[in-house]
Amino acid sequence: MKTKQKNALKFETDNIHLSDEQIDKHKNFNKLIHEYQAATKPLYKTPLYKNKKVFLVVLIILLIIFIIVEAIQKEENNSPSQNIEQTK
Amino acid sequence: MNQHHKSDKDIQLELQQVNAAKEDPRHFNVLYEKYFKSIYVFIYRRTGDEELTADITSCVFLKALINIKKYEYKGVPFSGWLFRIAFNEVNMYFRKNKANRIVSIEQGGILQMAQEVEITNNTEALKLMTNALKKLDGDDIHLIELRFFEKRSFAEVGEIIGITGNNAKVRIYRIIDKLKRLMKL
Repeated sequence: MKTKQKNALKFETDNIHLSDEQIDKHKNFNKLIHEYQAATKPLYKTPLYKNKKVFLVVLIILLIIFIIVEAIQKEENNSPSQNIEQTK
Repeated sequence: MNQHHKSDKDIQLELQQVNAAKEDPRHFNVLYEKYFKSIYVFIYRRTGDEELTADITSCVFLKALINIKKYEYKGVPFSGWLFRIAFNEVNMYFRKNKANRIVSIEQGGILQMAQEVEITNNTEALKLMTNALKKLDGDDIHLIELRFFEKRSFAEVGEIIGITGNNAKVRIYRIIDKLKRLMKL
């Protein structure tokens, strides 16, 4: 018997029974240890290309530095010619 | 004494197992084996989906293992701490996904509640109590599930919800009174 109600609860009076086999098939301690090692591994020990977030942040920082350097160089290239024009 | 009750000897033994796991995560295996089934069933009663339950269960044990160094025995046994993580993970899942949580009604629990609200007719009890339960809010339902459908002591209910045993008792009796009023309407 299933019913729906306002506060997002669904009441079930059918007995929910699972066999030990059904439960045990989801048991995997090795997977847990693997996930634990991945979750607790220090950031500096993870290769940069394996961490998507860090890789993306570094890429954005490099891009910003490149744009700034380009802008500065452009300004520097423009300024001597302006000075020469002014002296003429 | 209920199925979830732990003696002082059990608690001491468990503390040794926790300390071993703090030293080396591979020793967590003992606790994983011991609690996997009960945590899985606890979550399954609220989701009704095997795969989803497996995912949430693995999150619970991962969180427990990551944070086990923070666990200190201050009256709450390790099992209580673990069930609290499971309780929070389930709530977080349903809050995030806006899905309907399942409340598994146990007939034995309903009959026990019927006695508390002084209904003598067992055949009527199930229908009346189920209808009254549907009028309660989610927080009240949590307490009813833990106390009556999962047969936990007030202390254990408190450990899981994060309140004292006495506070849990007071709140549960208030809910019983509320149910009595709802059934008179």
